[in-house]
Amino acid sequence: MSLFKATEKNGVTTGASALSLRNIKITFGDLVAVDNVSFDIQEREVVGLIGENGAGKSTLLKILAGVYKPDSGTIELSGEAKKFKGPQDSLDAGIGIVHQEQSLFTNLSIAENLEFVSGGSSKSGTIFKPFNWVKANKNAALALGKVGSKLDPRTRVGDLSFIDRQMVEIAKAMKVSTAKVSNPIIILDEPTSLLEVHETEALEREIAKIKDLGSVIFVSHRLDEVMRVCDRIIVLRDGKLVAIKDRDDVNQQELFQLMMGHEKKSQPRSYQRKHQGDTPKVELREVGKKGEFRGVNLKLVAGEITAIIGTNGSGREDLCKAIYGVKSFDTGTMLIDGKEINHWNVQRAIESGFGLVPAERKVEGLIGGLSAADNISLIFNDDVKNGFLINPKKNLAIAKEWFEELDIRPRAPQKELEKFSGGNQQKAVLAKWLKSKELSVLILDHPLRGLDPGAAETVNSLIRKAAAEDTAVLLLGDTMEEVLDIADQISVMKDGEVTGSFDLHVDHPSTLDLLEKMV
Amino acid sequence: MKSAKCHSLRKGRKEENMSQVSASEKAKLSDSKFEASTLKAAAKKNALIKSLTEPAALIGVVIILCVVFSLINARFYGIVNIRTILEQAAIPLILAVGSTLVILIGSIDLSIEGVMGASAMSFVLLTANTRNPHDHGDVAVLAGIATGAVFGFASGYILTKFKVPSFVVTLGMWFVGQGFATMLYGDTATPYMTNSRVSGWSPRLTFGLPNAFWAALIVVVLGFLLLNFTKLGRSAMAIGNNESIAKTTGLNIDRVKISIFTFAGALTGIAGIIGAIQLGSGSPDVGKGSLFVSVPAVVIGGTALAGGRGGVLRTILGVFLLTILNDGLIVAGVSANYQSGVAGLILIAAIIFALWSRRDKLGVAK
Amino acid sequence: MKLSFKKKALVALVTTGLTLTAISVGVENSANAAGVNPKNIVFVASVINTTNPYMASNIAGAQALGKKLGIPVQIVDSQGSSQVEISKIQAILAQGKTVVMFVNTVSSSDAPIIVNAVKKAHGFVSIWWNKPDSLEPWNVGNSFVAFQKHPGVSSGACDADKLGAALGGKGNVIELPGVKDSTTSVTRVAGFETELKAKFPNIKILDAQPSNWDPNLAYNNTKTMIAKYGNTINGVWSADDAMQTGSIKAFTDANLVNNVKFASDGLYADTIAAIKSGEGNNAIVGETFHRGYAASAIGLYTAYLAAIGKIDPSKLPHSERDSMFKIACVDSTNLDQYTKWDNNIPGWIDQLIKNGPWNTQPFPLVAGGPEKTPAGWASQF
Repeated sequence: MSLFKATEKNGVTTGASALSLRNIKITFGDLVAVDNVSFDIQEREVVGLIGENGAGKSTLLKILAGVYKPDSGTIELSGEAKKFKGPQDSLDAGIGIVHQEQSLFTNLSIAENLEFVSGGSSKSGTIFKPFNWVKANKNAALALGKVGSKLDPRTRVGDLSFIDRQMVEIAKAMKVSTAKVSNPIIILDEPTSLLEVHETEALEREIAKIKDLGSVIFVSHRLDEVMRVCDRIIVLRDGKLVAIKDRDDVNQQELFQLMMGHEKKSQPRSYQRKHQGDTPKVELREVGKKGEFRGVNLKLVAGEITAIIGTNGSGREDLCKAIYGVKSFDTGTMLIDGKEINHWNVQRAIESGFGLVPAERKVEGLIGGLSAADNISLIFNDDVKNGFLINPKKNLAIAKEWFEELDIRPRAPQKELEKFSGGNQQKAVLAKWLKSKELSVLILDHPLRGLDPGAAETVNSLIRKAAAEDTAVLLLGDTMEEVLDIADQISVMKDGEVTGSFDLHVDHPSTLDLLEKMV
Repeated sequence: MKSAKCHSLRKGRKEENMSQVSASEKAKLSDSKFEASTLKAAAKKNALIKSLTEPAALIGVVIILCVVFSLINARFYGIVNIRTILEQAAIPLILAVGSTLVILIGSIDLSIEGVMGASAMSFVLLTANTRNPHDHGDVAVLAGIATGAVFGFASGYILTKFKVPSFVVTLGMWFVGQGFATMLYGDTATPYMTNSRVSGWSPRLTFGLPNAFWAALIVVVLGFLLLNFTKLGRSAMAIGNNESIAKTTGLNIDRVKISIFTFAGALTGIAGIIGAIQLGSGSPDVGKGSLFVSVPAVVIGGTALAGGRGGVLRTILGVFLLTILNDGLIVAGVSANYQSGVAGLILIAAIIFALWSRRDKLGVAK
Repeated sequence: MKLSFKKKALVALVTTGLTLTAISVGVENSANAAGVNPKNIVFVASVINTTNPYMASNIAGAQALGKKLGIPVQIVDSQGSSQVEISKIQAILAQGKTVVMFVNTVSSSDAPIIVNAVKKAHGFVSIWWNKPDSLEPWNVGNSFVAFQKHPGVSSGACDADKLGAALGGKGNVIELPGVKDSTTSVTRVAGFETELKAKFPNIKILDAQPSNWDPNLAYNNTKTMIAKYGNTINGVWSADDAMQTGSIKAFTDANLVNNVKFASDGLYADTIAAIKSGEGNNAIVGETFHRGYAASAIGLYTAYLAAIGKIDPSKLPHSERDSMFKIACVDSTNLDQYTKWDNNIPGWIDQLIKNGPWNTQPFPLVAGGPEKTPAGWASQF
């Protein structure tokens, strides 16, 4: 494995590397996000960048894009050292990045979008010029042709398919970066997350063409694609660069191991399962929603914790929302206590004893301006009411009890919930649901996200407690370790489908087994 | 076990990757490719149809109304009534072009009535009038337009530099304009225009159609050209679509917004001048009631209040729908008691009909 | 039957309340015997807007009277809105001085609210033009000094006579009523239509488009009616001069003004100029004469006399509390007789003070209200 392998083009070996990183390091507080990373990228090659969530990929990309400044280390482009003071410098140096979030104006044509590329349009007085459609269309056709696209520049971007829009984004990135350099670096950040199979192949062919124009860094969690498209693959783990492999020198299994480091196995479950044979509380048969997930089969059993894990674009969050009634299924059937359900919405879900602790708790879970006590009694409040009105004294008293039980600090239920720390907010949101006397299904979307270990432990024990009281728990976990610890059943989803299911009382999957199914 | 099945599927995919593609797999691939290209073509056609259905539906409604009104009273399509409608549409058209541009960037301009009054008074007091000896002809027209432009500039400036929402700024400008006009009006007698060539300009025919209409047509063309053939216009559309992306492309957003507001203000000035000419006198109230014709006309025409969609030509449809409705109901003899009620019902029906194709996209209707 | 403490308290409360009310009414009614010191009085003139010439004249009259009597004057510009009118009046009532007020109400339904507010503040108000028929000053108290107007029926009838004669008894006319359901507009329309039908049965009314006293709207509505009826229109009746101005402009623009005759109410300054210059083909054939400055001055003076104790409203005959003042029917031949005070408002104010509110030419009291529309009349539009 050579870090300095020169590629051959037409038999000529090129000299200095197109992009050269040496000892790049950046820390945020205590967290070392990127730890002494060094590598080279040559002209005309496609390099894959892979790693788990939190491995440091996006931070590294942001450094290359000039959004973050590294604490130490150097960047060289074609032998020249570069320091980026901001995104404009990175663009000027020839680095173009195509993000996952689209950056096009959907109501304008391709040509107009490409005209609006920055660098020149901020000069004063230019907006009063007539808009030269002929020139714009011509330039756009050129830019599109460079990346091998035959799209008509007059097409409205809003009417394009996702992949066509990606091509336009790439053309846009190219346009900017080829402005000044001969070997632009194009970074593609998860370009295929939302694509269908036949579309990914089209994109892969495009990438092969772009390769002739410069270097490409391809970030993806789909290892099969990475293997197909890339010449070399860089693996990050915990902020460190652990390997650079030639595509031909490695297989997926090895890549998994490199990504994960050690394997972790699940512990055998020691407690009894009470309801194993009963009718499941919730059963999903071949449910699907266009564009999000399909053919999902799932059973939520009372007293058991079912976890779903997956990466970006797996569809598990959407599945969760559909189970809770926020969205509806397009196909398949859902059964509650064995009975088929026709109309499903949040109201009916709550009436049937469902509760949802959402991922974006600030946006979807709590009402910041209300006191903690008001939040807790938001849905189930018979115990604090006199007739129609809420009795403020009772409200506070009941809230104080919950504060004790869940160890929410500070003990001030009258304070606005937004003033509490994240962990305590999460506990309050949980309390809101745990109050229900008939909580039959509790859905937790990334419940431990952003919590320190102490708070995470408390929340975990609450989840176990809920299960012990016969609630069926559905949990979307952030990390594999988290779910291996707590779940009775694990389903793995990838690109909208369930790729694997494990019953932890019978199987004993390791993190590797899970990872295989996720990517 | 399920996991084993998944595992083998995985292995199968891997083998495919290793370019050992079986014939059946190849066939499946090409099938899906064909599907993809036909899907693409279908999508393009769909998009085209969708973009034409809306205005087509509105045009249809306008035509139906004209036919019905003509059947009820043949004088509806007589040349006199047609000229009347065109003249009555002139001021709303001019105002609506300005409002369209403002709404496209995601703002709103509530000040038009007050600014019309201010421009009207500026104009009348400088042209031949009963109150003072001024008689500056063209300069008076320029003064009226400039008054409108200044108010527009002020609105745009306060909006961008002080981040005051356009709703609030322009509401304030309405009162400022009204106040300025009232101050000019004073408490002496109404200033009447003494030059009958000027005060009779609006309905006077040029090439068979009223002058006011020609003025409106010129404004419409100017607005169309500005929106579609200048960097300013395309930038406005971009900003209306997604202002945060626009910021990252380095567009000077403040400059665009101020320019649009100033242009709209100048148009309001023109409308105020024509209003004064139609009345033959100056009054702070020449614009009374205009706001509730121009903004609905823009929205009915298809320009979304959120910004980024629609256009000047669409707005023309909205204005004519409203003008023809108002005129037609009188010509058809609908009693004044029922005119508003009937007009309202027809409008709601027209909008439902015209936006029927868009209703699923609308999702959340506010 | 023994009453519980609660019930006893209630009875006591009610009795006290009734007694206090009786006393206060008595106090109210007798307060005037003493009269308010003019130094503590402020005149208020509330008008619908400040851009209509009639309203401007209201203001001029109030200011002239204030100047003559040495009393400060405040103007309320209702900007066409009942809410604005009422809130501004309430603000002034809260200032503390004794308010003597003339109100040209935006709509009838404003009257009860205003008179009650004035009563609470121990002020004195005269309402002009519009009130609900059932609300009579003698039922409210001395604070509601008077309701005053010029008759609408005779206004409309005057115009019908002039217009009908000018048309030679045959032809077609169109109507421009004001705000459709204001009594001012309804009575004028009634007067016009009844007289026209009775005296000139061969004249047909083609159409009526209410134009809200607004010249702009009148202009547009007239244009549309011209489009509809073309040159078959021989005459136009407008419920006020503001609308007539817009209507005449529309006919001028259509080059038809020389063939059409107009009649309206108010004899505004520009109408006088138009009549004198023979605009059109001596197009304006009939007008009714009344003046804004007189209305506000009469209203204010009546209320002022009550305030200083010179008159006791509770002792006035009903016709002097719900009053109709003379409206003269004029045309080019006699309008000069009436307009002589127009440039000498202070001079007319002297007359008013000398002769009192009900006896000053050319607007003496002619009848008591409420005005009734002619029996059997119903609007056909």
